Amino acid sequence: MTTVIQASALVKQFGRTRALDGLDLSVNEGEVHGFLGPNGAGKSTTIRVLLGMLRANGGSATVFGRDPWRDAVSIHRDVAYVPGDVNLWPNLSGGETIDYLTRLRGGADPALRARLLNDFELDPKKRGRSYSKGNRQKVALVAAFARPAKLYILDEPTSGLDPVMESVFRREVERVQKDGATVLLSSHILSEVEQLCDRVTIVRAGTAVETGALDELRHLTRTNFRVATGATVAQVSKVAGVHDARVEADHLVFDVDTDAIDRVLGTITQAGVSSLTVTPPSLEELFLRHYGDRIETEPAA
Amino acid sequence: MTVIRILVQQARRDRVNLPVWVIGTVALLAVAAASVGQEYGDAAGRGEILRVALATPALLALRGIPNGVSLGSAVHFQSFAFLGVTIGLMNIFLATRHGRADEEKGRRELVLAGPVSRLAPPIATLLLGVVANAVFVVLAICGYAATGVPVSGAVVSSVALGMIGLAFLGLAMLAGELTETSRGANTIGVILVLGAYALRAAGDALGRPDVTRVTLQPAWPSWLSPIGWGQQTLAFTDDRWWPIGLIAALAAVALAAALLIHTRRELGAGLLPERSGRATARAALGSPVGLAWRLQWPTLTAWAGGSALLGLVLGSLVTAVSNANIGNAQIQSILQSLGHTGASDMGRTLISAVMVLVGATAAAAGVQAVLRMREEETEGRLEPVLAAPRSRIMWLLSYALIAAASVLIVLVATGVAASIGFAAVGQPDNAWLALGSALVQAPAALSFVGVTALLVGLLPRPAVSLGWAVFGILIGFGLFGGLLNLPKGVDKISPIANVPALPTDDWVPTIILALIAVIATALGAMALRRRDLST
Repeated sequence: MTTVIQASALVKQFGRTRALDGLDLSVNEGEVHGFLGPNGAGKSTTIRVLLGMLRANGGSATVFGRDPWRDAVSIHRDVAYVPGDVNLWPNLSGGETIDYLTRLRGGADPALRARLLNDFELDPKKRGRSYSKGNRQKVALVAAFARPAKLYILDEPTSGLDPVMESVFRREVERVQKDGATVLLSSHILSEVEQLCDRVTIVRAGTAVETGALDELRHLTRTNFRVATGATVAQVSKVAGVHDARVEADHLVFDVDTDAIDRVLGTITQAGVSSLTVTPPSLEELFLRHYGDRIETEPAA
Repeated sequence: MTVIRILVQQARRDRVNLPVWVIGTVALLAVAAASVGQEYGDAAGRGEILRVALATPALLALRGIPNGVSLGSAVHFQSFAFLGVTIGLMNIFLATRHGRADEEKGRRELVLAGPVSRLAPPIATLLLGVVANAVFVVLAICGYAATGVPVSGAVVSSVALGMIGLAFLGLAMLAGELTETSRGANTIGVILVLGAYALRAAGDALGRPDVTRVTLQPAWPSWLSPIGWGQQTLAFTDDRWWPIGLIAALAAVALAAALLIHTRRELGAGLLPERSGRATARAALGSPVGLAWRLQWPTLTAWAGGSALLGLVLGSLVTAVSNANIGNAQIQSILQSLGHTGASDMGRTLISAVMVLVGATAAAAGVQAVLRMREEETEGRLEPVLAAPRSRIMWLLSYALIAAASVLIVLVATGVAASIGFAAVGQPDNAWLALGSALVQAPAALSFVGVTALLVGLLPRPAVSLGWAVFGILIGFGLFGGLLNLPKGVDKISPIANVPALPTDDWVPTIILALIAVIATALGAMALRRRDLST
């Protein structure tokens, strides 16, 4: 398996603030890699270093095995990029902007361009200054997807899109992945990452705190049970790995560590089960565990 | 009450902006009055100069209609049309700032969500405009009075200007009802102001001069312009009030129409739909050069057009000055100093002097084009371009190329226009001289482009302010260094002070300037290659 993006111990200093503090990131060929973190964690800074817009103060990074600063131009032949904050030329129409940006990479596939405009429901004749935030984002997305690339770097690409457009976006990501492309998808929208990504790197305060396949990371989280059962709070709480058991509206509700699911199932089936809802661990919980302790006191949404 | 509250908030937002406009415009008037007092001399001197003006359509177009030889009349002639433009622009920007711009940016929505009448904001803006123009009128009367001219004339002239301001306030508010963007509203407004100036320029130039009374009966185009009406007050001679009534009527109609439309229109809507753009880009828009050109050409058209217009009237100007045989040694020395020439021939001196100004204009166009790079960077539009396989060096060179093209286009357009002007008055020698004098400015103007590109590469954050500061200081030294009795050679730090007056044998400074332009640009590109992008 080839590594497309490799960053180790990246450091980037802006004056006194340390935006990146020894960040590691590794993205393999053909995967959709989630890059998760709250605002200000260093996601966009990392992406700018990987694109050769910023030069890291320390550590090393390669994209396609090359130096992103020195070899920016040759690397970018195979890169499509959607910035986090899309700014358009005010007096250029959306269509002109799309054409300009794709031509810099060699030109759009006309059929693909037309289909994307249609799917994203984007009017290409409007001027840049009159697009809403969501529509500006669509312009950048169409420009990125209208010409095939080997690596797609998408910085919070759906932050202005409605749910319907998000699903159009997901379809495009799935399409380019099927064609063998690699995607680095930064986000703080967890459901999106959960649905799309093979692997995830979680970043906080300029450092990667977790990285791995989603399944690997799920051991860090708990599954939520909601059961109508004869078992009592006391009985369930005795099982090792069960947390926060309580009664809510005649249902027994509790969270279970992944390795304790087997044991707790035994306990409740013995007491009899008339209804059972199991919510799989969400990245939301994973996230909260790293950035706050609310998960200990509040049930996950 | 809400109107007052909104008015106070609008005034607070303008607490720097409006005073600068008002005081700046009054200062313009005071400077004009002072310089007329000094340069035109006594009544006989004024008569001589004004009769030259009457015989020179270019001067009439530039200034307006003379009306008698009193000091007040001369000041009025010298400055009224310019002041009309300035006060007009002040009101245009004021109306748009608090009107369409607020609406476009969504600020109006916030206000109207409260218990506020739809009409409250425009009425507040109208009151703000009335106050600003009234303050201007009072200060302008003081400015006139300070020179000792009759107060009655000062009042007529100043009130006419204030009323012109209100008329443009109304027209701009109307424009804000028509378009959906503040840019559109400002564009319409500026076109109206410049159009008003241009109409009366045409009418005055084509007018029927009356040499004995030292006045002019303008042709019909002047009657289409509120600035033209203002001139008809014939302040300081006849002090007529009815033209002011005419202007007031225009203001009232425009304001009423704007408010009427405003009560009936939805928030954010405009009577004119936003023109839609192209669905696909033209073939030329496929590289940074293509984009830079696309972004620059509308501005460049304005630079080149304005400069070419100056070139076109140069022929008529030189003819008039030569014929009038102005023996004023002081003006001659000023022109010689501006043009860096020792030529004793007044016509040649004037050509050199004007072409130095044209060189400065070309340099300004170039600096503006180069600084567009910085705008692209701070607005986040450079990132997606560099995320494509385009190098920073080529990107910078693209903009530098378009900036250099801007400089050359301004110079060529002006040079050719001046040649045509001279050919038209039958001076082929001066036609060639004017073209050559325009082109010889190129290396100096290009050196500004190079230095500004270097600033963008090396010191991105202060590049814009530093770029214009360097431009302003060096041009100032170059233009006026010789007049300020500075030690010999100090003015030579300015590129434009090193432009030779043609014909010349000494091409060394010109070659050095060209080299500076090239080397500074290259250094700028290299510096950009080494730094982070910064917003």
